[in-house]
Amino acid sequence: MFLNQFLFLSAVLFCIGVYGVLTRKNGVLVLMSIELILNAVNINMVAFGAFNADLGGQVFALFIIAVAAAEVGVGLAIVLLIYRNRRSIDITEADLMKG
Amino acid sequence: MSGTFVTLVAAEIERPSIDWHAIAPELILLGGGALVTVIDLIWLERVRKLIPTLTSLVFLVALIPVITLWADGSGLPRGLWIIDENVPATGVWEGAFVVDNYSLVLKGLFLLSAYVIVLLSTNYMSEGDYYDSEYYQLIAASVLGMLVMSSSRDLISIFVALELVSIPAYLMAAWRKRDLKSNEAGLKYMLMGVFASAILLYGMSLLYGIAGSTLLSDIAAAIDIGESRPVITLGIVFTIIGFGFKVSAVPFHTWAPDTYEGAPTPLTAFLAVASKAAGFVALINVVIVALPTQANVVEPFIWVLAAITMTVGNLIALRQTNLVRMLAYSGVAQAGYMLAPLAVYDGISDRATSAVVTYLVIYAAMNLGAFAVVIIAARKTRSAELSSYGGMFNYAPGLTLAMTIFLFSLAGIPPVGGWWAKFEVFRVLTEGNRTSGIALAVIAAVNSVIAAFYYLNIAKQMWFLPSPDGDNSRIAIPPALLAAVGLTVAATIVSGVLPGVVSDMTDFVNVAAGQ
Amino acid sequence: MGVQQNVAQIPVDLGSAQPRAVAFAPVSDFLREYIVVGLFGALAFGLVAAFIGLASIFRPDRPTADKVENYESGVDPVGSGWSQSQIRYYIFALLFVMFDVEAVFIFPWAARLEDLGVFGLVEMVIFIFILALGLAYAWRKGVLRWV
Repeated sequence: MFLNQFLFLSAVLFCIGVYGVLTRKNGVLVLMSIELILNAVNINMVAFGAFNADLGGQVFALFIIAVAAAEVGVGLAIVLLIYRNRRSIDITEADLMKG
Repeated sequence: MSGTFVTLVAAEIERPSIDWHAIAPELILLGGGALVTVIDLIWLERVRKLIPTLTSLVFLVALIPVITLWADGSGLPRGLWIIDENVPATGVWEGAFVVDNYSLVLKGLFLLSAYVIVLLSTNYMSEGDYYDSEYYQLIAASVLGMLVMSSSRDLISIFVALELVSIPAYLMAAWRKRDLKSNEAGLKYMLMGVFASAILLYGMSLLYGIAGSTLLSDIAAAIDIGESRPVITLGIVFTIIGFGFKVSAVPFHTWAPDTYEGAPTPLTAFLAVASKAAGFVALINVVIVALPTQANVVEPFIWVLAAITMTVGNLIALRQTNLVRMLAYSGVAQAGYMLAPLAVYDGISDRATSAVVTYLVIYAAMNLGAFAVVIIAARKTRSAELSSYGGMFNYAPGLTLAMTIFLFSLAGIPPVGGWWAKFEVFRVLTEGNRTSGIALAVIAAVNSVIAAFYYLNIAKQMWFLPSPDGDNSRIAIPPALLAAVGLTVAATIVSGVLPGVVSDMTDFVNVAAGQ
Repeated sequence: MGVQQNVAQIPVDLGSAQPRAVAFAPVSDFLREYIVVGLFGALAFGLVAAFIGLASIFRPDRPTADKVENYESGVDPVGSGWSQSQIRYYIFALLFVMFDVEAVFIFPWAARLEDLGVFGLVEMVIFIFILALGLAYAWRKGVLRWV
């Protein structure tokens, strides 16, 4: 089995995702970066599941896909709400409260 | 829902006998929540006033099987499936859902907190221009996640439960649609929460990869290899960081104050008490059941988190002028005390667990009470600024007394509840005379003194200073809010004067693992 | 379907004396099935290329400005190719994504439909009822109305 290649791919995706979350200012792009991390996790889960001959990893991946859709649905709704009120989805502009 | 999958992946498909009694609280909540939704859909505006009452009834009915399961304690712990000769165990999925004393205490705590939250929300929601039936349905969904969480002994069910707790909360934080602060609260909470789940999942995927099973007890067996390997450490650290966001531990707390200030205040109480408790439950389940042999990795990490969480939380709380923000930072600091027993859990995991749960129970009572008073006061003053609490003794002596009880309890002054919670934490920390435990106990003690300063400052404001605008008209307290304050005052006083009542419930043998 | 079954029946045992098995030996079963996919793809590309190529030999070629314009349902193309879609589509896209993703839980049940019997059916009815409640909510609260 080529476990290492999958893990390497997933680690790279994870790092790209974290970088995106930390540097992007656009709310939608942040959500897309989080989606990258979740897909990295899915690759991990399926690769480990195949490696260990255990179905749990695939089932976990299905649940992650379903829950991620719910998260992003709610996330987009909130970003849209911000857009309606502020006409901008730059998350660094959301700074009414500090300290 | 997960039941569908249990049968699907089992090699031999047997129709499992479900232990209906064990899963009754969740089923009642699910059915009740669906019923409330259906009623709302059929009659819309005509039943709007009824929805809060119906939802709180659902919470109370769901409490009944929790109590009967507790009374029927001989059968504990029990799983989701009834196993006898006729029905063989259905393979690796057995034991993902466990009902034991530990989970029953927490289920009771979640249902009662949810009941109080509904009491707090009723007037707030109906007087503002909000969608309110959905709000209660979302609370029910979130509480369902909490109930499942307290019984979860499997990575998948922990993850699904955690998201079921969080996703409705993201929506409710942004509930005041046209208020920019509420939007911002929702955005920050959602972004941080989703990011935290992603990190948590990456850690979980590593743990799953090492063990080849999502069941916590299998993971515990698989990583019991007498040494630590980088990939195990990485998995553990990512997992704890993920939970760190949920329980608002420093340095992952940055969302908490802004979300607490911007969100509707009853929802803030919900986040500060119930949602945080759910995060702790998940952390306990993973640390105590899956990682008992990895104390050399887990303990130092949690030690550092606990120490900086209580210190930073208290220091920032000192200079807050907005009471909700101050309670937010004080909640961060309290999370530090709650983390502390987990920094010394090696060998005494049952004592550490019961200390954390004791703290959660008492903290729920006193913090919900404090938020109830904030909500009542805001009905008159329309403000949560500290100065607006001046002179409250003159026009609302009963409310001032109640708030003083909550503040004394939060500060840990006997004889009200909080001291017993702190006492339990200190007892666990000093047990075994370990240097790390005693050092953390000293840090916690210093922090308690700092915290007492700002808690008592609020009390001083209420008792001795004049009201800012000289308006001494009385506050009309609606019955729901009065009931909430009454319940929380009673719970706070009883837990302090008769700590045996709480410790009888929280002195369980251990967190039962699935097998 | 028939092709795939034939491929799957080729013995993979290296020690066997059958010549075809030796010829395919370096390729795993899994990849071998993809050879069929590759062949179909190549065939499709080849056919299209051949037809268009043949047509270009025979047809007259006299372009005018109107003829080379992009064809979009008879409407004159105006402005740039990038345009914002209406935000009102968002809610439908969201609902679609949710139900689409939840379908993933129905497939495993469908694959073992007979084995699971009544128990599986009841579980799935409950699951679909809860999903349908979401749709009923959207419909009743007027989310599906075109605004």
